[in-house]
Amino acid sequence: MTQTTETIFSLAMPYRETLDIRRTVYTGGNGPRVAVTAGIHGDELEGLYVCHRLAAWLDELQHSNPQHLLGQVELYPALNPLGLDTLTRSVPVFDSDLNRSFPGSQQGDLPKRLAAAVMTALDGASLVVDIHASNIYLREIPQVRINSEFSDLLVPLAEQANLDLIWIHGAATVLEATIAHSLNSRNVPCLVVEMGVGMRLTPDYCEQLTVGLLHLWQELGVLAPEVVLPPLTHHPLVADDSNVHYLNAQTSGLFVPATAHWTDLRRGELLGTIVSPFHGAVLSEVRSPVDGILFTLREYPLVYEGSLMARVMARKGGAR
Amino acid sequence: MKRDLLLMTAPVRDSFDIPCHEIGPKAAHPAAAFVAGLHGDELNGTFILSRLADFLNGVEAGKHPGLKLLKKVLIIPAVNVLGINLRSRTWPFDKSDMNRMFPGNVSGETTQRIALAVLEATKKAEYRVDLHTSGVDFEELPQVRLYSPSDAQRATARHFGLPAIMERSISPVFTTTLMHAWQVWPGQSFLLRVGQGGTVQLGHCQQVFRGLVAFLGQTGILAGVSLAEGDEEISHFRQGSSKRLYAGKAGTFVSDCQVGRWVRTGQELGYIYDSFSGNVIEKVEAPANGLLTGIRRHPLLFEGDLLLRINPKS
Repeated sequence: MTQTTETIFSLAMPYRETLDIRRTVYTGGNGPRVAVTAGIHGDELEGLYVCHRLAAWLDELQHSNPQHLLGQVELYPALNPLGLDTLTRSVPVFDSDLNRSFPGSQQGDLPKRLAAAVMTALDGASLVVDIHASNIYLREIPQVRINSEFSDLLVPLAEQANLDLIWIHGAATVLEATIAHSLNSRNVPCLVVEMGVGMRLTPDYCEQLTVGLLHLWQELGVLAPEVVLPPLTHHPLVADDSNVHYLNAQTSGLFVPATAHWTDLRRGELLGTIVSPFHGAVLSEVRSPVDGILFTLREYPLVYEGSLMARVMARKGGAR
Repeated sequence: MKRDLLLMTAPVRDSFDIPCHEIGPKAAHPAAAFVAGLHGDELNGTFILSRLADFLNGVEAGKHPGLKLLKKVLIIPAVNVLGINLRSRTWPFDKSDMNRMFPGNVSGETTQRIALAVLEATKKAEYRVDLHTSGVDFEELPQVRLYSPSDAQRATARHFGLPAIMERSISPVFTTTLMHAWQVWPGQSFLLRVGQGGTVQLGHCQQVFRGLVAFLGQTGILAGVSLAEGDEEISHFRQGSSKRLYAGKAGTFVSDCQVGRWVRTGQELGYIYDSFSGNVIEKVEAPANGLLTGIRRHPLLFEGDLLLRINPKS
């Protein structure tokens, strides 16, 4: 078993410096290759910590039982290093969302070339997990988001990832220029994980996903069957376009939650209020439209009219 | 007449509106709708449309004898009002691109609500025009962009009298744009790309202003327009005809070339310098004979940045 850190892409910047994309590769036997990508949005850090936790686990394996790595693990913790360095979601200077630049091209500007290099690097992998951390506005329960076009293949994988939710999106809402859609279109299975909140770490969620990824890798034959892993502790609920309800602010102000994230709600139950810093009155009460579970909750308190405050998933088969 | 497309509250500031001009005879729907400023840094379009509103209001007030508005015109000089004021391309609160929010949603995100109001006000117009510039790094020759057009649209595009008409296919990335949302409605839609973001380029603005007046004349919306003798050369470029040159080296790019010039293969168009040593590291030469339809304006180059685009005569 070997561990190396290598550069997969390098591009000259205007004044002396270069932009490098690095990955860490753990190589054992000739078994399947798997990869984890993170930091495609510069304000999402949870995936960086998951890469660290996986690296720490693999370092330990290399020390104790190196023969148990049957395949290859590739960690790409920082696909948008300039954004991560500068607290910028997009690619600085280009002001473009790297996750709308795939599959990219050899010709063109930095985001396109970077995307093409990542696609080349990931070609042939048996599973890629792309980790996102929502944004600075919303907190998300650990979940996998799957495009219905690829759900037959991906849902069985996602069920083993120790997460709380699988959200299947209709084909009409597909974002075709994402890394996940581009990989899945080229027959490289890619799961998109969303969890936590932008610019923060949620260590419990990161541990939860780390355990799930190790189980997935064992199932795929990357890790030997005799490796003893921590038990799976979470089994996902399933959401789709029919049972997810969006709560957008009816007016502008400060959103103050009245309930905790990932709790059961009754229809009509108070979820939060919108208040004004200028007046004592409550401007708007936010109530659950259904019996369900609160899986997205606003973290950044200021809301404009229309801002998303919460998503509630009606329990399948329950009151709608 | 000024009208509010929509009024919205803000968390700590006063409520704000997205205003538009409605000029000419009363009608259920405008004959022509002009939109700019979906991106808050695209100032040429906002300047052109505010001047067009002033001109047409003058026509209505009788300041231009001989000219008469026969049909209603709707003008939205800026959709991203807060973006203009804060010099931000995107909607400043959540940094979302307002031209990725169509067709909009009455109960969705703030920007989706604004998008819906813009679409509702404009979708039934016979002619719809969305003005853009390039980003702040690049300058576009004033041009009409057509997306998988009909022959009728190709013909109407000539009414603007701009030097270039460029056809493009519709990318799957752009299905949430205003242009795409318009395409499902009867009538014709045009996208104009004018110059560079972040500045007002008077020459380009005057050319496009004249183009919009000519367009209103040719389409019978504004009577009494005396049209140019047709001596302006209009080049029509089909999809795939653009030759793009990307920077082979990073550094500092300097060029004094103007868009709209015809250039020859091998003609020197600029230089790339090493930003530290000052050495010339690359002479930038025209990759083809043709019309220079776009050129890099920001001097600092990453390897791979688009330097220029040339369209060979078809």
